[in-house]
Amino acid sequence: MSIALFVPCYVDQLKPRVGLAALDLLRAAGFDVEVLDGLPCCGQPLLTAGEERLARDVATRFVEGTRAFESVVTPSGSCASTLEIHGRRLVPDPPGGRARVVELTRFLSDNGALPSPPTEFPRRVGLHASCHALRELRQGTPSETREQARTDPAAALLREIPGLELVDLTRRDECCGFGGVFAVEEEAVSTRMGLDRLSDHRRGRAEVLTSTDVSCLLHLEGLARREGPPLEVLHVAEILAETHLGAGWLETNAIRGADGSR
Amino acid sequence: MGHVDRARDFVANTERTTWHDEVLWFVRAKRDAAADTLPEWEALRDEAAGIKRDVLGRLPELWRRFEQEATAAGATVHWARDAAEHNRIVHELLRTHDVKRVVKSKSMLTEECGLNPHLEAQGIEVVDTDLGERIVQLREEAPSHIIMPAIHLKRGEIGDLFHQEMGTPAGLDDPDELTAVARRDLRARFLAAEAGITGVNFAVAETGSFVVVTNEGNADLGTALPRLHIACVGLEKIVPTANDLAPFLRLLARSATGQPISTYTSHFRAPRADDGNGGPPPELHVVIVDNGRSRLLAEPAFREALACIRCGACLNTCPVYRRSGGHSYGSTVPGPIGSVLAPSQDPARHAELPHACSLCGSCSDVCPVRVPLHHQLLTWRSHLAESGHHPRRRRLAFRIAARVLSNAGLYDRATRAGRWIARRLPSRWLDRLGGPWTRSRALPSIPAESFHQALAAREEERP
Amino acid sequence: MSAREKTGRKVDGDDARSEILARLEAAAPEPGEPFQRVPAPAMPDDPTSLLGARLGQNGGVLVTNASATDWPTHLDLPASPAAFAHVHCQAGTALPEHGVASRGVGLEAKAVHDLSPLDLCVLEAEFSVVENGASWHVPASALERGAALLAEHLVILTRRSRLVATLHQAYPRMTLGHTGFGWFLSGPSKTADIEQALVLGAHGPRTMHLVLLDD
Repeated sequence: MSIALFVPCYVDQLKPRVGLAALDLLRAAGFDVEVLDGLPCCGQPLLTAGEERLARDVATRFVEGTRAFESVVTPSGSCASTLEIHGRRLVPDPPGGRARVVELTRFLSDNGALPSPPTEFPRRVGLHASCHALRELRQGTPSETREQARTDPAAALLREIPGLELVDLTRRDECCGFGGVFAVEEEAVSTRMGLDRLSDHRRGRAEVLTSTDVSCLLHLEGLARREGPPLEVLHVAEILAETHLGAGWLETNAIRGADGSR
Repeated sequence: MGHVDRARDFVANTERTTWHDEVLWFVRAKRDAAADTLPEWEALRDEAAGIKRDVLGRLPELWRRFEQEATAAGATVHWARDAAEHNRIVHELLRTHDVKRVVKSKSMLTEECGLNPHLEAQGIEVVDTDLGERIVQLREEAPSHIIMPAIHLKRGEIGDLFHQEMGTPAGLDDPDELTAVARRDLRARFLAAEAGITGVNFAVAETGSFVVVTNEGNADLGTALPRLHIACVGLEKIVPTANDLAPFLRLLARSATGQPISTYTSHFRAPRADDGNGGPPPELHVVIVDNGRSRLLAEPAFREALACIRCGACLNTCPVYRRSGGHSYGSTVPGPIGSVLAPSQDPARHAELPHACSLCGSCSDVCPVRVPLHHQLLTWRSHLAESGHHPRRRRLAFRIAARVLSNAGLYDRATRAGRWIARRLPSRWLDRLGGPWTRSRALPSIPAESFHQALAAREEERP
Repeated sequence: MSAREKTGRKVDGDDARSEILARLEAAAPEPGEPFQRVPAPAMPDDPTSLLGARLGQNGGVLVTNASATDWPTHLDLPASPAAFAHVHCQAGTALPEHGVASRGVGLEAKAVHDLSPLDLCVLEAEFSVVENGASWHVPASALERGAALLAEHLVILTRRSRLVATLHQAYPRMTLGHTGFGWFLSGPSKTADIEQALVLGAHGPRTMHLVLLDD
């Protein structure tokens, strides 16, 4: 199976270790992974801003540039959903077909043979459900629906980690209020939504906040650092790397200047 | 002032926002519990959505049939192309029947058409009889929710209003006592009214019937007493047969408030029976209203919004609506469905609404008729941008961003330069540059290397 | 005589009608996808307790242990029915030995408006729906329709043999095409428009009893 790793622009720039974690996990699971270079974006920021034509151009570049692969794996439910849900509408299949874009935990769950068993991670972890992973990609069962239950692959992988306690939330899948340009244009409501999510996690005594989406985490981390007791923020891939690839992975792969690695 | 500013004002009152969010989340939770009682919930949504989609292709046939059946039953059917025509027809009916006092039950359609101010300008007294609607009417404001019109108000404010308007003791804020006062006041108005106006939840083509649903019984009192009943119905409200009502009525109240059914589900077909005391014979008039609905029907991207049964579930679940309040939308119908409908009525005025949404998708999953609301909101954004309703500077910024994101070399140089500068600026400066992002959020620490740089460095170290 | 005949020219109403129908014809999408009908769910194992629970959610009270001759003694009302001055009983529901018979405005009203002081209204349902506590009723007259709304207390008699599981079974039982007016009554008149606090007796009955009688 030919696999590419797509590290979206904001992960590339602001949370590079998440990209390294995704790459190391895929390699450890035995996949020969090619890292996509020169295709930084799925087009989502343009699409949600209403710039559908610009988004189509960017998505077309992406689809063309990845058609040689069977699957493109990405540590972002949001970018995967853009390409899988809207990308298929905006960009027709190139001759010979296109790569399927798969969110990392979904891919690991479906195909993965992660080095097991995971080592201990004795922390209380709040898993923030990414709306796009949940309601677009249907990774899990949205609380609104009464569809047949589907397992959230991120939660399932975290549950396998000894010592890790997933925090119970009063609202298990409410939006954090990031929403791309929404976070800036509707700053007041976005902030309030994020603060409400944070207090839910804090009520559950979360020590670590995690998600399949860096975008939600950047927003929540930014709010958490301005207010309230410290909360460590890690992408699911980082927790999986730390527990499956040898304790100390996070420290070894810390990036100068980035959060949690001074 | 748009949604952003009004929402900011609403959120600024932390306590009120908390209450508003929690009370509506509680309604959502009741809806969840009601959905849990029906194993066939999702199949019901499929059926309801299927009926509505079928109906959208057959509207002329169904309305002709409705007209024929309703007329045969003794009702009079009127057609209104737009709000003005609707208001003219209703006023003309009231004028020819010499009506000076009207009781009206909740109807988002008459809100949309601005019927009250139109009639009041002609010297006709219109009393909204749903308690929540009466409250906002007395406050001279619009409903903030389609089924809980006064949900933005606290009991103290309603107590103050009743003190001013109905002479209740100052400080009285007990909901039971306030409701009792309103009941007395409205009972007298029901008895004095010469006509009742209602909306319509569902019209049935096969029988020429229509269904009106309330908990208070206000639509029923307003039509059981006066001799003239005018029902105003939007073109989208029709279903083919009486049996088709079952899935909708099973979904409606459960989706709206978590109740198994509303208290009164009334099926009208003929003018009300004469009580035999010698007055003129009772009359029933149905006004069928387009007002932009056929335009929406012509839009493949948005026509499914015509399936909406106005349950309000998308408002209750919307994390933005719960924290910004219904008035922040500035449209007749607030919340996700309102933000889909309003731009079709007036794109220039409502161009901002599709952006009052984080695209979380909860509305689409809660919708009993499966309107893909959040995808429609996304589509509206591009339609409105293309039709020139987005600020030019904003569009230019995204064109530049697209250039950077589709050119590997440019992306690399721009991001390197950006991070180089960001890492050297004092954080106070950065915060200022961060604009609205940093008003409440700290900027992330800027890494010295991007993922691609870190990877290259690592592979150099351990080839 | 139609407006057209009266004036001898096409009036606005006709224009609007044909224009709207033309707009709808022009805008009509292709026929929708075929869809599945939900099969009518079966009667639950214990219909009485489900009916009672659902009616309770609506603010109503289910009376299960009464007989056709003693049901008034099972009502939870502020006073015995005999103490009420104004009562309306649908034909066939009166029990004079228990003080339940039309009297006062319930007997003398000439117009619906006269019924406003009504204390009690007794109706008989055509059938009742277990899944939601609703009872289908077709008022015999304008006065009866008004009585059900203006009374302080509402009692509806129904029979075990006339329970249906859900609304799917309910609609085929009706003859809506021949019914000028009919309604599902599911509880007392209620509102929650002040801070979502539930108040019974918004405009109409403050209490509602559904009396389930054996056949």
